[in-house]
Amino acid sequence: MIRARTRRHAAAVAVAAAVPLLGGCGIRGTDVIEAGGPASIQAFVNPDYDMLLFFRSPDGGLNPVVRTTVPSDAVFGTEYLVSGEVEDSGVTEGPVPTEKVVRSLLAGPREKDRAAGLSTSLPAVRAGGTVAVERSSGGRVTARLPLALKGLDSTALRQLTCTIAYSQGGDGKAVVELTGQDGATRSDTCGLDLGNTGNVPTETEPRARPTPSGTTG
Amino acid sequence: MTSGEQRSRVRVFGLRARLLLAFLVVAAISAGTTAALTYREARSALLQTAQDTAVTSFRDRVQQTGFSLPLPREDLEGVLRDIARMGKPHPWVVFAEYGSIRASSGENPVSTVITPELRRAARANPHGSFERVVKDGVPYLTIAMPTVFKAGPDSVLPSGIVLYAVMRMTDEQLNVDALLMAGRDGALPGLAVALIPGLIAARSVLRPVRKLRQAALSMGSGRLDTRIPVRGSDELADLARTFNESTGQLERSVRELREAEERARRFASDVSHELRTPLAGMLAVTEVLDEDADGLDADTARAVRLISAETGKLAVLVEDLMEISRFDARAAELNADEVDVAEAIRKTLQNRHWTDDRVRVELPDGIRARLDPRRFDVVIANLVGNALRHGGAPVTVSLHTEHLGAEAHSPGTAVLITEVADSGPGIQPAVLPHIFDRFYKADAARTRSAGSGLGLAITLENVKLHGGTIRAGNLPGGGAVFTVEIPLHTEEADG
Amino acid sequence: MPRVLLIEDDPSVREGVELGLRRRGHEVRAAATGEAGLAALAEFRPDLLLLDLMLPGMNGVQVCRQVREHSQLPIIMLTARGDDFDVVIGLEAGADDYIVKPARPEVIEARIRAVLRRLDDSGPGRPAIEVYGELTIDRAGLTVTKAGRPLTLAPSELKLLLHLAAAPEQVFSRQQLLEHVWEHSFTADARLVDACVARLRGKIEDEVGSPRYVQTLRGFGYRFGPL
Repeated sequence: MIRARTRRHAAAVAVAAAVPLLGGCGIRGTDVIEAGGPASIQAFVNPDYDMLLFFRSPDGGLNPVVRTTVPSDAVFGTEYLVSGEVEDSGVTEGPVPTEKVVRSLLAGPREKDRAAGLSTSLPAVRAGGTVAVERSSGGRVTARLPLALKGLDSTALRQLTCTIAYSQGGDGKAVVELTGQDGATRSDTCGLDLGNTGNVPTETEPRARPTPSGTTG
Repeated sequence: MTSGEQRSRVRVFGLRARLLLAFLVVAAISAGTTAALTYREARSALLQTAQDTAVTSFRDRVQQTGFSLPLPREDLEGVLRDIARMGKPHPWVVFAEYGSIRASSGENPVSTVITPELRRAARANPHGSFERVVKDGVPYLTIAMPTVFKAGPDSVLPSGIVLYAVMRMTDEQLNVDALLMAGRDGALPGLAVALIPGLIAARSVLRPVRKLRQAALSMGSGRLDTRIPVRGSDELADLARTFNESTGQLERSVRELREAEERARRFASDVSHELRTPLAGMLAVTEVLDEDADGLDADTARAVRLISAETGKLAVLVEDLMEISRFDARAAELNADEVDVAEAIRKTLQNRHWTDDRVRVELPDGIRARLDPRRFDVVIANLVGNALRHGGAPVTVSLHTEHLGAEAHSPGTAVLITEVADSGPGIQPAVLPHIFDRFYKADAARTRSAGSGLGLAITLENVKLHGGTIRAGNLPGGGAVFTVEIPLHTEEADG
Repeated sequence: MPRVLLIEDDPSVREGVELGLRRRGHEVRAAATGEAGLAALAEFRPDLLLLDLMLPGMNGVQVCRQVREHSQLPIIMLTARGDDFDVVIGLEAGADDYIVKPARPEVIEARIRAVLRRLDDSGPGRPAIEVYGELTIDRAGLTVTKAGRPLTLAPSELKLLLHLAAAPEQVFSRQQLLEHVWEHSFTADARLVDACVARLRGKIEDEVGSPRYVQTLRGFGYRFGPL
């Protein structure tokens, strides 16, 4: 009896040891595992004559679109050299004027952009509307827009904010204050940028999806 | 039956089997554990390397590629094909999601392997990430790689393009399988190799045990000088030493007993011998005493006659003692001759003057047997004399042969059966087992009978010398019966 | 009454046997040693020698052999032990019979008479002298010659030969021979016969290994011839 019991004990121990060891042969699936930063691609943005417009992607986020104002130098964007598209001021040194950038944004996505499924949340604006941009101290940018801010959704506001912020050069961290025809104002930052430190983040902590941090009065 | 079954059961779980089993279990556990741990470590290292290589190289490939924003589908597909050509460590299929564009380097623009979790993670975080997916038994490595671009000196913007790579891990599968095979192929021969020390150990344990058993058997069959060679200094050597010491003591005890018995026997023999010489002189003059007793006065005559009579009895007793001593010393020889048994019995009775109606005979003629006539005479004379003294007349001596185990055509063993039956009260059951003992007195009150007390013992020895048996019993109608069975050996005479 | 020479070293046995035999009318001369016995032989001229085998100095077997060298004197040996070895040795040395001590005088006398008794001359029609091959047997003169040369046969040997030759080719069992030649009981030691036959063959046969005159029938006994 005793011998039988000890034998049964030994067998149980052996089985208990063998199961985790021998189990899980082959390759098993895993969860999603984070592995390093994103890929930093070459987008050939020249701040002197390229402008960044932000349109709405089908999943609701903002996608940047590069538009150049220099037809001859541009490697890309020959399609952009449509007559009338180049702004009146013509070729100028320095960054593309913000007013021009905002007008381009308000003009909406072009066919090329729409082919990639990009759209805009901004309403169509008459061509004659004026855009006045004024820089104040402290990196604050005030923009007067030829449309009513009321009724615009957050995506539309972010389109405007991000486009104006990046047209100001630098890292697009400027606080943008929008003022509509209706007198309403919104103040916000773009918040899309990943390069807080000026470098491509390789080991940053997970970030939340960039969303509007809120609207102010 | 039960002990046989028990024995065979014990054999199945014998010492050798148990030792081998223990060795195998230990070897299997250690080999299995080692193999499994090695396998796990090797597998994770293998996969880690493959994954890291894949993720890193995928990122590198993507970073070496230029994109325009927005990116037309055709350009995207071209870019994907370029990246797909440079798959590392294995060919991969590259997928891209940009806006509403779904493109791939393969045939299907959308992968069925990439999970929604991976997509969500890639969309939510600007980090590369991977997921191992097993689909239909095939392991895949899926890598998600969101892309960013430099919008300014300090500005990095997500481009909205997410690239995916899907890589079959077939080679890794093969490697892992090979690892598994190697572990198994290493463990099994390991088990087989473990059998060898197991067998050696079992042998080293079992050989002394077997020797011990042989020695015990040898002792049992009477060879008391059996010893086991003591080798080493382990427990088995201790056992062997103890065995040897015990056998030595046993041998000494048995030798002492035998010597004592031998001394006693020789003493009886010597006493008999020493008694014979004075008896020879005394017996020679008993006749003189008997003849002259009549001339003496009454008391002296009685004394003289008593001495004469007792001298005769003493002579018989000494003669019987001598005979028994010869049997004890195994010095008794059988001088067999072919004789007519009926005639031999008749002459025995005749010589003892038992020819009146006290003794009846049923002796069929023509039975011949190889017997020692002198010893057979002693047997018959003792049995008849015993029957006349202790049983009662008439005594019947009958003779017949029987074929024991006889078949229709094979004679079997022929035996000569001689029965001596008396008409007395029979033998008490309590006495029967001791009837052939030396000097056994059936009646304690009767101190001495006419016989020496050795008659039946000598009879038994004589029958045994003939290879026969003798037994005593009682007849249903009363009266004791002694049955002598002696094998017939008439074949020699026939040839 | 026969004259008996008793050679026995033990005084009580010597005296007892001497006394017992003398009371039965025998003339007995007793000697304590073999040497004394042999010395008395010529002077006493006994009819029979009663010889103890266990003697100090010259032992019974040696005495027996010495007597047999030149005499047909009947010899009966006395053996204290009755052991097989003694009996065989004594018989081979030429003794005619043996008695195991202790023995009553009547037994001893019976043996003496048996040894001394002459065989009955069988049938009247039988010729006094019979010739079998080289053997010539004179029943009247109790002499046997082989190829004309007289043979010295001990009494038991002569009696055995005469008994066997009286019925040539008839088989006698050892028991029968014991009873008729030695006048022993049926149950006496059959080696008496074997020893006597061996001695007889040594004297009458050309080759002891393949006897002509006294032949053995294994399991049955002995017979004379056929030649």
